Amino acid sequence: MYMSVKELVKDSMDKQTPISELMIQQEMAKNKASREEVWSTMERNLDVMEAAVKRGSEGNGVFSKTGLTGGEAVLLKKYREKGHTLSGDLMMEAVQNAIATNEVNASMGVVCATPTAGSTGTLPGVIFVIKKRLNLDHDQMVRFLFTAGAFGMVIANNAGIAGATGGCQAEVGSASAMGAAAAVEMAGGNAEQSAEALAMAISNLLGLVCDPVAGLVELPCVKRNAIGAGNALISADMALAGLTNKIPADEVISAMDKIGKDLPKALRETGQGGLAATPTGVNMKMRIFGKTVDVGDEN
Amino acid sequence: MSANYRSVFDIIGPVMIGPSSSHTAGAVAIGRAANRIFHAEPTEVVIHYYESFAQTHQGHGTDYAIISGILGFAPDDSRVPDAITIAKKRGIKVTFIEEDGDSPINHPNTAIIELRNADREVTVSGCSIGGGTIEIREIKMDGFDIKPKGPLPILLMQGQADDHHAMSAKLEKLTSINSEATYHAGDGILYEYDLENRLKNQDLDDLAKEHSKLVYL
Repeated sequence: MYMSVKELVKDSMDKQTPISELMIQQEMAKNKASREEVWSTMERNLDVMEAAVKRGSEGNGVFSKTGLTGGEAVLLKKYREKGHTLSGDLMMEAVQNAIATNEVNASMGVVCATPTAGSTGTLPGVIFVIKKRLNLDHDQMVRFLFTAGAFGMVIANNAGIAGATGGCQAEVGSASAMGAAAAVEMAGGNAEQSAEALAMAISNLLGLVCDPVAGLVELPCVKRNAIGAGNALISADMALAGLTNKIPADEVISAMDKIGKDLPKALRETGQGGLAATPTGVNMKMRIFGKTVDVGDEN
Repeated sequence: MSANYRSVFDIIGPVMIGPSSSHTAGAVAIGRAANRIFHAEPTEVVIHYYESFAQTHQGHGTDYAIISGILGFAPDDSRVPDAITIAKKRGIKVTFIEEDGDSPINHPNTAIIELRNADREVTVSGCSIGGGTIEIREIKMDGFDIKPKGPLPILLMQGQADDHHAMSAKLEKLTSINSEATYHAGDGILYEYDLENRLKNQDLDDLAKEHSKLVYL
């Protein structure tokens, strides 16, 4: 099993084999599964992702029970139709898809957690726009997910992917890094460039805290996925242009792990710090659950 | 090092009902583990939450998630959000307790589940480590106090030394055994096998034909 980015990159470069293929082979070997079984499971996951993007952008959109989030993917869609976006239509489509997916998640709809439900919009944000940009076929999109998963496994096994242990950097940061690395492979970059994209994507989001208002996966989670998707595309472009992170990917992952351990409890998915502890955040929690936020003085 | 995430589908997946993979899908998984261990419908369920679970279970739908697992539902079952109502209709008494202290099993996403009926009582301590993946770190059942390392899959078997030798040999053919432990309660012996890979349903059915007291997590 690949336990470091270094091993993944070396094998891919030595064997002249894309990381998506290495991941498929590892999955077949570890779970004694056929290529067809592994492939079709990933296809089903892709279908779920596509359905969530579609659902969040249709009609008036979807809304959570609390009313804290919803309908904003549709606002973006309408805004894009006017053709005056500042950061370009592709970037805003990525943002729309990311937000649509997380709005579906917040409304208790069906999503594919990539790697977590809180960060579930980041990869869809990336994959469906690069599909258009690069004319990816169905098989290439499935491969995108295998590559993203290969890097995600290394991150998860070395640093973790839970907001409660590592903060949002471990969720949206990891998702963004997975998306960046996979986007590089789809654009024809090599494994070393994928690793650079991953390293840059995580480095850009290091220290991001998990401070959900009322403990709900809504504010600020939904829009953090917009940043996750945008950061993935930017990091992939930087890597494809030949930029490097200077600090190697495995060391960046290790830094993320250490930062997560240093974060106070209030900023690790307890809903007690950051935006959750603002006067407005506290009022929202009171309105929804009738409880005050215990901001406490211990970490 | 032992890897918690052993399949690409731990990372790209699970397909689930929102909003949280650790606090919703992971909670379903902890509930399902308790369901497999208890292996019957309980009349009473008490759930103790610690740390992040204690602070945010309401917002994340952890309550209905964990109950749906105890009822045996999958994370993407459409009945998940209605699980508490369903449990109450079936006459199951459900209590949730937000504990103030640190997790006894040392993880911020901890739930300790007590299940009981007229015949039996078990306690299962689980934690949700992210992305829907869980660990089971303590099980109290039938007089045994089992303390697994955490990562799944785990197979538990009550039996004698002969059963153990037979089981080890069979498991070695299907996967590798990362570690084993033996527990005693009176005359009873329980064997724990921490496995590297998940067993296929067919293989599990074959094992269950020859060994009656198995719990697979």
